[in-house]
Amino acid sequence: MKNEEMLTRIKNSIIEGELEKTIDAINEALKIEVDYKDILNGAIIKGAIEVGELYEQEEYFLADMLMTGDAINAAMNILKDSFIEIAEESSKGSILIGTVEGDIHDIGKSLVVSLLNGQAFDVIDLGTDIPPEEFVKKAKEFKPDVIGLSGLLTMSISKMHETILLLKKEGIPSKVIIGGGIVSKNSCAMIGADDCAKDGWEGIKKINKIISNTKRG
Amino acid sequence: MPYDRTKSVIRFMKTLTGHVRGLDKVPFFAIIDEQFISRIMGITTREILSSPETYANCLIKTADFIKADTIQIPSAYAGPAEAYAFAEANNKMDSIKWYDYKPLAIKQGEVCETEEDIEKLEIPEHSKIDLWDTTYKTANIIREKTKFPQGMGLGIWSVVQELRGVNAFKDIRRNPDLLLKLCEKIYKSQLDSYNNWMEKVGEVRLVMYTGYAFNKHMMSFEDAMKYEGQFIKRFQKEIKSPFFLHNCGTKPYFREVCNEIDFIAVNGSHPLDIKYWIDFKKDFPKVTIMGANIDVSRELLTGTPQDVEEKVKENIINLAPGGRYIVSPICCLPWGVPLPNVLAIPKAIEKYGHYPIKGAQ
Repeated sequence: MKNEEMLTRIKNSIIEGELEKTIDAINEALKIEVDYKDILNGAIIKGAIEVGELYEQEEYFLADMLMTGDAINAAMNILKDSFIEIAEESSKGSILIGTVEGDIHDIGKSLVVSLLNGQAFDVIDLGTDIPPEEFVKKAKEFKPDVIGLSGLLTMSISKMHETILLLKKEGIPSKVIIGGGIVSKNSCAMIGADDCAKDGWEGIKKINKIISNTKRG
Repeated sequence: MPYDRTKSVIRFMKTLTGHVRGLDKVPFFAIIDEQFISRIMGITTREILSSPETYANCLIKTADFIKADTIQIPSAYAGPAEAYAFAEANNKMDSIKWYDYKPLAIKQGEVCETEEDIEKLEIPEHSKIDLWDTTYKTANIIREKTKFPQGMGLGIWSVVQELRGVNAFKDIRRNPDLLLKLCEKIYKSQLDSYNNWMEKVGEVRLVMYTGYAFNKHMMSFEDAMKYEGQFIKRFQKEIKSPFFLHNCGTKPYFREVCNEIDFIAVNGSHPLDIKYWIDFKKDFPKVTIMGANIDVSRELLTGTPQDVEEKVKENIINLAPGGRYIVSPICCLPWGVPLPNVLAIPKAIEKYGHYPIKGAQ
């Protein structure tokens, strides 16, 4: 099978959210020595973007996105196991993400983490119910480009605000994006976040934009 | 002057059922949760729930403070309290997390982490769950003191998410039969809850159905009918009380679902475009609108009392003429919402919401 066909096969299995097919295709691609950068850029990232477009067109739903996320994670794990340098060499940027204290919902955040992994970002997922102090501690440790604060509950806005205030007080320079159905442009401005996203896919697009602006700037 | 609860009951029930004659003004329905009660009463969630008397008094005082016409018990809702019942029945109370000033929560996906957990999941007996016992007793006290008819909450997907977490969405594609098995167990649990309510509280006058599946962000409408809609139809065969659909998602399937299932009212904050709601009212004249576009994370959180007044006015003049409109901010009122903004709601109703109401057109 030609390299191009192999990349299409990987991309399609990711779009279809087929975990086993993705693993098989990646392993076969590596066996015939397809360049891992081609696999990453020509199959995995393209697949993730196409899935996002299908979601925007309301042909795909959260379940499809999550299945794709699993396939992407499996693919990335194989690549990272095979090529130690992949993480450093191809990383587009780093994101520290977590659901704020008092909120233990993680569905939207899980989707963001999966798809960011698939777009070659370094993602540090702190989990759920994360106090402001923990965000600060990890931000000092990892120095992320972007910090993502997730929350589903309406009451999480005030905790996002508290977290942002502490990050600023501690001089953390990372950009902050807030995510969840509760957020709006107004609430984003009110609590001092740099950007906001109402769902996982919008979050991916905004993080890409923030990081490319940061790198350019 | 004490708040006139008798008038509130009449106002709410008349509007809900579409009786305009003799209606004085537009009612105010607020979802008052433990966080908001904590804020008004200055006590913790555990203290609020420490006895039915305390719980009932806190709810009544909080509703009176904001001049809400309704009193709804937050723990009688198919969310964390139902997940709490499952956690207790399955010896998984470690998954429950208590907070001082907000509702208890469950770590999503811990109760049904594995497929085996679903297969072996025990259906709770609500009569043996302390939280539910407190809820039933609280409902009785509130009804006695305020005469406000108490309604209970039902919902399938809201509980599925709590028990199964993110895996529930993956099951839609990889294991739908297993997911339906979980839905079925939740359905049976909810019927147990309903039967207990009938026995301990009496007739359920209104069912608040939390239909989180009916949201484009969540799933297709076809899947929403499979994992939520079919169960509502089954509930409605068993329970003759009217149902209203609560959905605080940002892309709700209100129109689609009202074509398939009978609801007396819909309760949501989106879409934000008032034209959607004007058209909805024309197309579903027998469905009362509770809320429309009064989203707690917008004007209420970041605006001024004047902004809130304008938003309530927009809703009233467009949707209240002819009845069947209830002012309702959605969803729970977050900690950061300034109280003057909340109090701007009843003030705006006083200003613009007395019948006869002159419409926008």
